[in-house]
Amino acid sequence: MKKIFAFVLNILMVTSFWQVSFAQNRQDKNEVLIRNATVLTAANGTLQNTDILVQKGKITKIGRDLKASSGAQIVDATGKFISPGIIDCHSHTMLDAVNEATYSVTSMTNVRDVLNPTDISIYRALAGGVTTANLLHGSANAIGGQNTVVKYKFGRPVEEFIVQGAPPGIKFALGENPKRVGSNPQPGQTSRYAITRMGTMEVIRSAFVRARDYKKSWDEYRARVAKNDKMAVPPRRSLELDPIVEILEGKRLVHAHGYRSDEHLNLLLLADEFGFKVATLQHALEAYKIAPEIARRGTGASIFADSWGYKLEAYDSIPYNAAILYKNGVLVSINSDSDERARRLNLDAAKVEKYGGVPEQDALKMITLNPAKQLGIDKRTGSIEIGKDADIVIWNAHPFSVYARPEMTMIDGEVYFDRSKDVQKRADLQKERETLEKMDINRAPASGGANTTLPVVPREKREAHRDDADSIKDGGNK
Amino acid sequence: MKNLFLRCLTAILTVTSLCLAIEAQTRAETFAITNAQIATVSGPVISRGTVVIRDGLIESIGENAKVPADARIIDGAGLTIYPGLIDTNTSLGLAALVAAAPRPPGQGGPQTVQIAQQQPAQPLSSNSNFPNGLRPEQSAAEQLRAGEALFETNRNAGFTTVLTVGREGIFNGQSAVVNLAGDSVSEMIVRAPFAEHVTFTTLRGGYPGSLLGTFSAMRQMFLDAGRLQEVRKMYDKNPRGLKRPDADASLDALIPVLNGTMPVVFNANSEIEITRALNLAGEFKLKAIIAGGQEAWKVAPRLKAQNIPVLLSLNFPKRTAVASPDADAESIEILRLRAETPKTAARLAQAGVKFAFQSGGMSNISDFLTNANKAVENGLDRNAAIRAMTLSAAEILGVENRLGSVEPGKIANLTVFRGGIFDKTKAVTHVFVDGKMFEVKAAPKADERRPGGTGRPGGNQPTALATVGGVYAITIDIPGQPLQGTLSLTQQEAILTGSLQTQLGTNLVKDGKVTAEGFTFSSTAEFGGSTIDIVVDGRVTGNQVSGTFTTPQGAIPFSGTKTP
Repeated sequence: MKKIFAFVLNILMVTSFWQVSFAQNRQDKNEVLIRNATVLTAANGTLQNTDILVQKGKITKIGRDLKASSGAQIVDATGKFISPGIIDCHSHTMLDAVNEATYSVTSMTNVRDVLNPTDISIYRALAGGVTTANLLHGSANAIGGQNTVVKYKFGRPVEEFIVQGAPPGIKFALGENPKRVGSNPQPGQTSRYAITRMGTMEVIRSAFVRARDYKKSWDEYRARVAKNDKMAVPPRRSLELDPIVEILEGKRLVHAHGYRSDEHLNLLLLADEFGFKVATLQHALEAYKIAPEIARRGTGASIFADSWGYKLEAYDSIPYNAAILYKNGVLVSINSDSDERARRLNLDAAKVEKYGGVPEQDALKMITLNPAKQLGIDKRTGSIEIGKDADIVIWNAHPFSVYARPEMTMIDGEVYFDRSKDVQKRADLQKERETLEKMDINRAPASGGANTTLPVVPREKREAHRDDADSIKDGGNK
Repeated sequence: MKNLFLRCLTAILTVTSLCLAIEAQTRAETFAITNAQIATVSGPVISRGTVVIRDGLIESIGENAKVPADARIIDGAGLTIYPGLIDTNTSLGLAALVAAAPRPPGQGGPQTVQIAQQQPAQPLSSNSNFPNGLRPEQSAAEQLRAGEALFETNRNAGFTTVLTVGREGIFNGQSAVVNLAGDSVSEMIVRAPFAEHVTFTTLRGGYPGSLLGTFSAMRQMFLDAGRLQEVRKMYDKNPRGLKRPDADASLDALIPVLNGTMPVVFNANSEIEITRALNLAGEFKLKAIIAGGQEAWKVAPRLKAQNIPVLLSLNFPKRTAVASPDADAESIEILRLRAETPKTAARLAQAGVKFAFQSGGMSNISDFLTNANKAVENGLDRNAAIRAMTLSAAEILGVENRLGSVEPGKIANLTVFRGGIFDKTKAVTHVFVDGKMFEVKAAPKADERRPGGTGRPGGNQPTALATVGGVYAITIDIPGQPLQGTLSLTQQEAILTGSLQTQLGTNLVKDGKVTAEGFTFSSTAEFGGSTIDIVVDGRVTGNQVSGTFTTPQGAIPFSGTKTP
């Protein structure tokens, strides 16, 4: 009982730690030397008693007895384990809206517009070793909105979260979610096409046909302009079709939500027909049934380790899904799709080692280097290698141990979670809370007055979604 | 013959203009307020002087200003004259707009590619292809209801000018700067349109149904408007062989916005909302103004650097009624927000960000000065606070050459206080709007809940009204499932404000009136995503209240008792 109380208290305090947190981050930026750790590189095996030198946000040296210049921050990691920062290839953390459910094609939307850098789930993810995430639109539409890849630079302005140079992507969704949202309209709406799986495929095909025509109209216009034709009228720019043209041009990654292998295979065939590559099959609980077909196309799979059966189309999975895909040469990542599970992706990777015997480093890659490759950011992050971003987690134990927890999480060489500081700050927060609660403005009036405002539902009360079609978060702080 | 006709015409015209002149004179007398302290705002305070008002304008001010022979003299001993107060964001005088009715949502096919092609719901009289809520062409000036009586509460509280605009939808429409007197809209308007107003919200029953879509829908409209302008230019130059461009009122209304000739007021309170507004403004090079601005201090350097003003809300967040014993502790962010919001004004001033105050939808307008004073207690210079409701407001609204200070030649909008504007015992005694005087009678001492007094021009005797103010615990007799609630009513003469709280939420009292036996008001409640309009009629006998809720589904009786 006492333990539960302590846990709850803990959560409450962690909740608001950030506000008084990392102002000193910036000055740490120059140089950090982490000493004497067991380093799981996720690229070149495990290195014992190894130092890592970080300069200007990059890993510049890995080795023994490294020297740092005076003034460098020294972190003694004796007895500790280091892994690359975890990359969550399917997340809806820090989004003030997840689904634009009104249309079957909402490619004009972009989660970039609704990022909320104050979401406490970011800090909790950092406390679980996550440094980077693929923030996706929900799965209410056959073609959903555009994604954004971020690093969890909690406490920094939202612009600094965006991973510069990450290729843009987009969400597709197959199966129950898009057809259910179509057939169960919100109050006041009639049903939305499509309401069957075949209709969903038609919506996608039709979007690509429209995008092809749209591209043609622009090509013709540009040709006329090139010929100095003064009568050439520019076509209307369509924010809906622009990103679909980019898919056709190979400039935008498709992350396709789906469960059943027949549907995912259908999409792969459609992609063959239109000449583009699907970057990842998301969830893909039955992907083991079509592993060679996925591998042949160079498509990735981003799955759960052992979670299934939460709805009919998610019925036919096995914990060996990852291992079978791996053995067939598919690039596999393990994602969370949840604010809550994001905090323990390390254990999900451990399960991949347990079920099917994927070697330790390759299992670790499924939450680090592989998602980095799937997102096109592996040149800069995803492993502990010289020249890469210093996205580093220091663990108290091997990250595949159930006793493991991050002691420190770094992004670009800056500390965004430090367990020892967190513990120290809890008392300060408690004190601040007591002071604030004593203020008149925070005391409840004796009875309802006309000028009172309704309490805002605290962010930490938001549910964690397992399956994101239901997640129609709306309108920000209203 | 021709000559005779001309002479007749001249005669008629002369008589007509004479009549007009006489009428104008009865409407705007000449006044001289003598021996008063004058807070000019634009210059130093004159400790004892005279302000002369003629033909709706300030004729002269000063220690030795001459009192004209024809002036009605008001002895200003013990009084302070301020520029008329300006509330920079209201919906005063605007009838509630028709709420967007449900319409069929889009389908996957090509017919829904363009939002402009959607079926608009209940089109207003407009050649727009867009649904309600995405209609920037809506004009506050066109929808304004004139009539001095409508604005009495605000005027008695010292306000002479407001910015008014609708609140519905994403594009709230074009606002108007209006003076709170005059019996026709044309008399009231000082400047219209002033700006396009934007709220980051969603539409009911159609796209955009989420904040994601809100941004993409606006963005598409800005692009479409830009293209319309471009194509129209081509067409005007040489229409032959070109398809005639659409004449879409909504897109047309965005063209001045895109060209930077009309500012955009973004309603944004939190840091992230303000950041989103600034990003969108930057993307389309819009001239942005932030309204609300609770957390504007967190973005102050950017606001300062981009020279973006803030219409800062004085409707500070307050805690609700008693929390349920089962409720979790409030989050520290909310506790902090309440503590920090009154400091915003001082922090903006320190950072050099231009700001003016606005009422932000507060239910009791007397909170305006109370909370402006709180901003002063939290570090804002007193003069800066006064400026934020007078001259700074006029500057942001682009009317500083005619309003906002006590200077000769400016519009005679003045608010006269007994005592200083931030004194606890202050009282508004006179309000001048366009040179027209409204005397505000002192509030009866027995009832302190009547701020602003009861004055009105001509001093009509109020009819006997019931006394209904107070908090009532009520039961709404919904068949099978009676609903408990708290009805909080604040009475100011015949005007009723307040709220109704039930487990379904809190609904504000709208159009509240006190009658001889009780009260009547309307309200809107939300059930499962749709809005229901309710009309409430109540009767108060002693500490008992009873009456009916009239809803589209039928009448529901309610009853209750006043809580001590």
